[in-house]
Amino acid sequence: MQLSDRELWALIHGMGLGALFLLAFGGGIAGVWSLRSKLVTPEGLQERTPRLLVGTTVMAVVAWLTVIVGTWIVYPWYRAKPPAGTADLAKFPRSLLLSSPDTAEWHNFGMEWKEHVAFLAPILATAVAFATIYYGAQLVHRGEIRRAILVFFTLAFAAAGVAGLFGALITKAAPVA
Amino acid sequence: MQSTETTQSTQTKPNGPVAASFLAAGIGSLVLGILVCLNELGGDISKFLAFDKNYGLGSGVGALSGKSILAVLAFVISWVVLHFLWRGKEVNFGRVFAVALILVAAGFLLTFPPVFEIFAPKAA
Repeated sequence: MQLSDRELWALIHGMGLGALFLLAFGGGIAGVWSLRSKLVTPEGLQERTPRLLVGTTVMAVVAWLTVIVGTWIVYPWYRAKPPAGTADLAKFPRSLLLSSPDTAEWHNFGMEWKEHVAFLAPILATAVAFATIYYGAQLVHRGEIRRAILVFFTLAFAAAGVAGLFGALITKAAPVA
Repeated sequence: MQSTETTQSTQTKPNGPVAASFLAAGIGSLVLGILVCLNELGGDISKFLAFDKNYGLGSGVGALSGKSILAVLAFVISWVVLHFLWRGKEVNFGRVFAVALILVAAGFLLTFPPVFEIFAPKAA
């Protein structure tokens, strides 16, 4: 039972960083949602604001790390071209998927969507983190900013969710190994 | 309730910097979508976007290197510019956010394969 370097990096990208972002979303959205004066006491606000600042910042950093590792480390292994005459395409996932009409759409639709839409997640999460850091506890008085944060946060989750879902399905069909 | 929130809003920091970050995120998203579509056209644009070959940025990443780097640059540069323009100012956040949302939606749409593949040259 051991992992190759490629499998380890793919694991860090998907099950480590990507999954951490998706799992943290629930806590983050609940934190922003409940940051209203009628729902929290001043003491409660002081207690939860630092956690929200750290949470949104970590989520933005994790989102960037996910796309950086995915694009610059794992993706080149995925799209590597096999030498002419190579029969076993197991180490060339993109070519393996495209070699059969039954699996080609995993690349043509799934990977083509995933590799692009994933970049929207860190961009949106960064704006969310900045707004949270900038206002801090004052967010309780800025309903319009809070609502905008919720919308961008949800869109970042949607982008990461699409990328994560197709990442898992593509890995099942043709793992980076 | 509305008047309370308005009064409280005046006691908080101006919203310009936050509006700048949201609009910049929209600009970055749109630029990514546009670059994805332009890359589908092929030719010189597609070759230019291969930053891995042209500038040695990420061996084997292909055109995604250029698309992602330029989109992130668009996000960062527009954020810096807007931040300095709106620093210390209270802007119409609702309007700015609506524009940002439209730009993000366009980014989502243009990175959807059935949409950006429209730009691919038709096989003879």
